[in-house]
Amino acid sequence: MTQPIAPAAPDIVSRDGNTMVLSMGPQHPSTHGVLQVMLEIDGETVVKADPEIGYLHTGIEKTAEGLFWSQAQTVIERMDYLAPSSNALCYVLAVEKLLGIADRIPERAQTIRVLTMELTRIASHCVWLGTHGIDLGAISVFFYCFDLRENILDLQEAAGGARMHPNYLRVGGLNGDLPAGFIARLDALIEKFPGRMRELRGLLQANPILQDRTIDVGVLTQDEAIQWGVTGPSLRASGIAYDVRRAFPYTGYDSYDFDVPTRTQGDAYARFLVRLDEMDQSMRVVEQARRRLDVPGPVMIDDPKISLPPKETIALSMEALIHHFKLVSEGFRVPPGDVYQAIESPRGELGYYVVSNGENRPYRIRTRPPSMYNLQALKGLAPGNLIADLVVMIGSLDPVFGEVDR
Amino acid sequence: MPSTQNPPIAGTAIDPTSLRPKLDDAVVERISPSELRARLEAFKGDGYAMLLDLGAVDYLGREPRFDVVYHLLNLATHARLRVLCGINDGEHLRSVMDLWKSADWAEREVFDLFGIVFDGHADLRRIQMPNDWEGHPLRKDYPMRGNNAERSPRPAFANKSNVVAGTPPAGRTLEALQEQVRRARE
Amino acid sequence: MLARVDEVARWAQSSSVWPLTMGLACCAIEMMTVTSAEYDIARLGSEVFRSSPRQADLMIVSGRVAQKMGPVVKRLYDQMADPKWVISMGACASSGGIFDNYAVIQGVDTIVPVDVYVPGCPPTPDGLLYAVNLIQQQIRQGGRGGIFA
Repeated sequence: MTQPIAPAAPDIVSRDGNTMVLSMGPQHPSTHGVLQVMLEIDGETVVKADPEIGYLHTGIEKTAEGLFWSQAQTVIERMDYLAPSSNALCYVLAVEKLLGIADRIPERAQTIRVLTMELTRIASHCVWLGTHGIDLGAISVFFYCFDLRENILDLQEAAGGARMHPNYLRVGGLNGDLPAGFIARLDALIEKFPGRMRELRGLLQANPILQDRTIDVGVLTQDEAIQWGVTGPSLRASGIAYDVRRAFPYTGYDSYDFDVPTRTQGDAYARFLVRLDEMDQSMRVVEQARRRLDVPGPVMIDDPKISLPPKETIALSMEALIHHFKLVSEGFRVPPGDVYQAIESPRGELGYYVVSNGENRPYRIRTRPPSMYNLQALKGLAPGNLIADLVVMIGSLDPVFGEVDR
Repeated sequence: MPSTQNPPIAGTAIDPTSLRPKLDDAVVERISPSELRARLEAFKGDGYAMLLDLGAVDYLGREPRFDVVYHLLNLATHARLRVLCGINDGEHLRSVMDLWKSADWAEREVFDLFGIVFDGHADLRRIQMPNDWEGHPLRKDYPMRGNNAERSPRPAFANKSNVVAGTPPAGRTLEALQEQVRRARE
Repeated sequence: MLARVDEVARWAQSSSVWPLTMGLACCAIEMMTVTSAEYDIARLGSEVFRSSPRQADLMIVSGRVAQKMGPVVKRLYDQMADPKWVISMGACASSGGIFDNYAVIQGVDTIVPVDVYVPGCPPTPDGLLYAVNLIQQQIRQGGRGGIFA
């Protein structure tokens, strides 16, 4: 068996020859969460960077094995906590495939799922942009971004009940239809968005300091990106136009009209531009989804074995009462099998390999965490750069540690 | 209601992967450990340039016990391939870190959480759990709560201002409760 | 006379409580939101979040504390200079939250003494603002952690 190394104390500083080993993190303002990077540095230049993860390991996958299928969604949503509805979407799609009801999800539910997913993507990119700006010293961008995010969180709270982790998507559809006033607020956001994006671009895109700090920093070549398993905006900024929404369409994405922004330089500035463009494209999809919402319809599959009966019927119908009781106390059973379902989360290809053995609880949910694979690329990108560049690189790869560590 | 406090750990030891319905998520291949390395190299040569994911599943009660699952992606044809390799406890697999760099942390995580050793890995040590942790948490025979009771006992802090749970009420809280009872009796 | 100095000192402390950036998980995002324009914790005196424990008074443990992170939280708490206060933000920091398992420390109050617990998963930024208000009240009333603690 392999020998475990000595426990890494969180504040190692050791000198040997010309280089020094410095521990950056796990508590650090610029590591975007609990990341520890063991840096071997020569002055300010990084000779070797070894990221240490696991400081947020929550045992989500094991916890999900002890919960019902519908309960497991609550813990799964807390993996990528910047885009909770994207975790939820991937999970419900996987379970629906195993149940065999994937083609019976109502049209309106699919439209609202796309709407929620794209709004979540914009909200996640807002956090990325705000924190990336803070890392670079552009602190006022943070306030603009979080103001935009507040509008989106208000919509999520109205629809699902909570600002983050709304648990709005359910296996079979949604928890309920959109509340009154939602469409009006959504329209107001759609109205406000272009002006706000112009402001954000005006603040940063042509800013000489930002360009100095991000152009030619952290260049990820195509081969390296594929080797490290990088997906999402980081891959597309290196020139490979792989987007799961186009390659393996889900939830009706092939009926929406949107571009997949791609750049070729592969540096931090390219990743920056790709994400800004993605925010614009997401709003395009949101507008198209909004137009489809004018047609009313059911938002949950009509299957009493899977979806809860309407609350009004429980007092009147014996079957409804029994189904409600069974679903709440035992949950539904999913036929045995395994499936790999992937979606395009704001960070890249988020996949769940879900195994069911016929019970009412998941047997195994293996997550394919995009942030973990994106972050691994840091080992290849960091050497030869300054510590300040390392901060830019971590920000441009946009990791979320709830997902990296699970 | 199945208790979330003591979830059954072995489940029914069937092999879900052989009962899977016809799904179009990936082409699935089950490969034995002895052929695995050669077949993976062949797949890589065939255009499966990206190792999307490397994970494991513990089918306690099944023979072989573990399934190591590789998901490969062919970027040119947008085809996914799933490779399942069944191994037993104590058997080693050859690392694929030299074929795809993304396997580095993924294999470390499988080692950490399942105890499956990958020969040829440059630095196989725990990644999610602390270095001195004992046991492999995601195995089905590992308890859900681990050894939490021993690792985080509730200490008595000298200046702690909050009340320890279970302490009977006292002082003004007790007076307020007695007042409520008195009013209710009137 | 001395009581008056004490009062002024406590008023000064409560008016500029600077938190330590101890953002761990989802609650950290709500903690960041509390610094944004809509909620603005700066008007309560928490103008900046300091990254160095030497410069911070308040540690807001926001998020689930994993087994690997526990010693780090304890070390940072020890490195903070007295007087110091701790807010345990969110269900996970208060009691382990929805993660009753091997990986999450079941409540950060097993490692550091906590002054205010904020329930929620995650709590709304308003909840965190109220918690900071409670800390300020505790300081002004001379609770644990005052200048003569």
